[in-house]
Amino acid sequence: MKPFYACNSPEHAVSRRQFLTGSAATLGLLGFQDMLSPANAQTIRRQDKRVLVVFLSGGVSQLETWDPKPGTNTGGPFQAIPTSVPGVHISELLPYTAQQMHRLAIVRGLNTTEDDHGKGAYIMQTGRRQVPAERYPHLGSVAAKLLGAEDNPLPGYIHISPRGDGGGFNRGDAAFLGPRYASVTLADGAPPANLLRPPTLTELADSERNDIRNRINGRFLQTRRSADTEAYTNSFAQAEQIMSRRNLFDLSQEPMYSHDRYGRHEFGRHCLLARRLLESGVTFVKVTHSNYDTHHENFDFHIEQLGEFDRTFATLLEDLHERGMLDRTLVIVMSEFGRTPTINRNYGRDHWSRAWSVAMAGCGVRGGACIGRTNDNGTAVVDRQVHGGHLFHTYFRALGLDSRRNHYHDGRPIPMADPQADAISEVLA
Amino acid sequence: MLSARPICMGVALVLFVTDHAVAQTPLTQRIDQEIQKGLQGTPAALPAGDAEFLRRVYLDLTGIIPSAAEARAFLNDPAPDKRAKLIDKLLAGDEYARHMQNTFDVLLLDRRPDKFVKRPDWLEFLRKSFAANTPYDQLVREILSADGADSKTRAAAAFYLNRDGEPNVLTKDISRLFLGMNLQCAQCHDHPLVDAYKQDFYYGIYAFLNRSYAINDKNLKMTVFAEKAEGDVSFQSVFAPKVMKTTGMFLPFGKPIAEPKFDKGQEYVAAPKQGERGVPKFSRRAQLAGALTAPDNPRFARAAVNRLWWLVFGRGLVNPVEFDHPGNPPSHPELLELLTQEFVARKYDMKSFLRDIVSSQTYQRSSESPKDAKDTDPAKFAVAPVRALTPEQFAWSLLQATGQLDADRKALAPKATEAALYARNAGQVTPFINLFAGQPGEPANGDFQATIDQTLFLRNSPAVRNLLMPRPGDLAERLNNMKEAAPLADELYLSVLTRQPSPEEAQDVSEYLARRPGDRPTAVEELIWALLTSAEFRFNH
Repeated sequence: MKPFYACNSPEHAVSRRQFLTGSAATLGLLGFQDMLSPANAQTIRRQDKRVLVVFLSGGVSQLETWDPKPGTNTGGPFQAIPTSVPGVHISELLPYTAQQMHRLAIVRGLNTTEDDHGKGAYIMQTGRRQVPAERYPHLGSVAAKLLGAEDNPLPGYIHISPRGDGGGFNRGDAAFLGPRYASVTLADGAPPANLLRPPTLTELADSERNDIRNRINGRFLQTRRSADTEAYTNSFAQAEQIMSRRNLFDLSQEPMYSHDRYGRHEFGRHCLLARRLLESGVTFVKVTHSNYDTHHENFDFHIEQLGEFDRTFATLLEDLHERGMLDRTLVIVMSEFGRTPTINRNYGRDHWSRAWSVAMAGCGVRGGACIGRTNDNGTAVVDRQVHGGHLFHTYFRALGLDSRRNHYHDGRPIPMADPQADAISEVLA
Repeated sequence: MLSARPICMGVALVLFVTDHAVAQTPLTQRIDQEIQKGLQGTPAALPAGDAEFLRRVYLDLTGIIPSAAEARAFLNDPAPDKRAKLIDKLLAGDEYARHMQNTFDVLLLDRRPDKFVKRPDWLEFLRKSFAANTPYDQLVREILSADGADSKTRAAAAFYLNRDGEPNVLTKDISRLFLGMNLQCAQCHDHPLVDAYKQDFYYGIYAFLNRSYAINDKNLKMTVFAEKAEGDVSFQSVFAPKVMKTTGMFLPFGKPIAEPKFDKGQEYVAAPKQGERGVPKFSRRAQLAGALTAPDNPRFARAAVNRLWWLVFGRGLVNPVEFDHPGNPPSHPELLELLTQEFVARKYDMKSFLRDIVSSQTYQRSSESPKDAKDTDPAKFAVAPVRALTPEQFAWSLLQATGQLDADRKALAPKATEAALYARNAGQVTPFINLFAGQPGEPANGDFQATIDQTLFLRNSPAVRNLLMPRPGDLAERLNNMKEAAPLADELYLSVLTRQPSPEEAQDVSEYLARRPGDRPTAVEELIWALLTSAEFRFNH
């Protein structure tokens, strides 16, 4: 029987000798601190890094986006067009995005070997393969924990989901990092549950009842104050602040021209909201655009879907740049996998994870870079093959985090990113 | 050899009898002596007052704060032995079994969703076991011996089946729950940080389970835990990938367990077929429960004792409770040894054991830090801990504090049994519990995190607001019927915080009500809310 490397101890990657000479071996299990020393953590937080993920749900076709193969047996009907970077071509379905190519890096050699929606999404959001005995935190939860300011009243990880999907808090996303770093899903952009004061309770009455609560707490905590009691009492102040910023979730506050630029459709609204949230200090925002699972009529669906995505996404990049936010916002466009080069008899493309692409921008990403190469008809990676682990090292490095460090779960070291992979340094400026 | 072995008490009894002084000093006093020894000048907190003790012991033994009527009766009782009487009463009550059912459900299944064994059956199995005070070793044997094929014992098979019978998940959970050794990191190599946790240990336990598999049996028409007669365990360390090792069954530090050989074709009672479970003549898995609870494996009792201590003190004598190893020694080694021997000598009687712990002065100290004491080491147990209520304690205590249960008692009388109250409210508390609970499948490590969704829920949700509304017999109604501020403050504090208000607090209430003469019912709701959302209510102290 083959062991699966559930604990992903660093020892799988480095030699035992190297490991034992490190400081970890001299520590007892009780003495573990967070992976960052407080001074380090503060420096990183002050840099105010953010992350935006645009998740093209269902599996976007790499051939209709970042890695077109026109004129081949797998290429489909669309052409490749030049971009703002000489020599780099992407699909003609992305004319606006093509003009942002100088801000984008494309990783074309992705092979995640997982064609199941759920498992593929897990790899792309955690950088690991799913295993029975361990759960890894989402990139969003890690970012919320390591990049977010402790006193930020806003949730660190917000997911804007398409209409029809549920909303709420998703504790599982944070795994062992704890529910504080779990995602909050805003269903179709709707604000979090219970954000508004009950209509029967006036602001004055609410303030009075909180005064009484504070007085009771004051007496009790004189002799019993602890980190836990502080966390509890502070959470009420945080709730107060997020309630007072409820306009953040209200897009009618945005000028008409913003709505026009972003596009007057669901994805446009969601991206506009994402920009508002990032601008207000939310560390990680994920916008899901659905649905790219084109087993039938792949080409028609991609015209339709990318027609929404292209202009809105290009606007969002431009807007982040204009507002001076792109330098510290890592933007990632991902899916759970790509789509088969082979076109099936329903003019569809099926699930395909062996050779596909991801695009990134901002935050130290080298604009115009294309890393990795697939063969002529896109059926295999022929240069610089990478998987989810490489992507996560790259994301962390772009965000100024040392991807070789560990999280600690009840004293167990858990590497932040797959220790057998490394960053794709060509992506980083 | 095949079935669970009877427990031999020999070793423990010999030790017990040879030391007469030990035998004659009640356990409660020995606990206090050992804790006292460890203080070494650290100032200890004063004894807890009656109200402080009352709330804590209710939460720890019944999982819920007392009703106002229960609190009043206890506080007004002049009997000098009223604490001892209360402890006995609580341990004998139905609420104790319910609380232990909830506690062990979370411990053993980590809030996994309903799977092959229905949750109500599993919970009822646990409740009955704790109501009958089934010895702990027997309870564990029942859980680890059930394969789900026999309807009488099927509920206990939830431990295996609701984990899909996955042998790695089971190895990890069995090692941490029943041995206090989290061997997860020893799966691929010797534990990198704990010298004592060898990779062999992991596979020694794994070998009890490697032939087992969950199968939907077409004859039984349900999913059961079946077993093959073949399959050996071999493993390699990632540091020495060329060295393949093999192992049979053994528990950490224990002896290998022998396995009979059968002639080819003779291995099965029923050979596995497509859709039909296998039943081998010799079951590896059947050895596990007996080996684990046998007297030559003292780690089982030690882990159990440490876990029970953790339940009432919020930390183990070995802490973290799942990392018992020489590099992480107990804070009070002699006490842990004594408790372990005593638990075995008492035949794993949990009630009597818990009774002696909560009767100790150590347990009955105040949670108020003594003056001038700064940052007392919690491992000294000098001050009673302040711990967040579990989701279950919090949800049920909200219903008790707001008088929802009083109202139900009134409505159900004279049939207001614990079971009836539970059945009536279990559905209502589920959303509360889900909101405050950790994620399914992840062991709760005791870390407290207050999240924004929880606080917005407490502040603004209709669900919490509904608890504050008057209905016949509940707290809001009782308070609305009181004209004077002083008795109102008294009833309010007793119902929610299980104590009388201080004069200053009574004054606060009186002034608040005087400012709101026109809308007394609303003012009352907000007063209740303020107490419910205080840290004093949210924590066990």
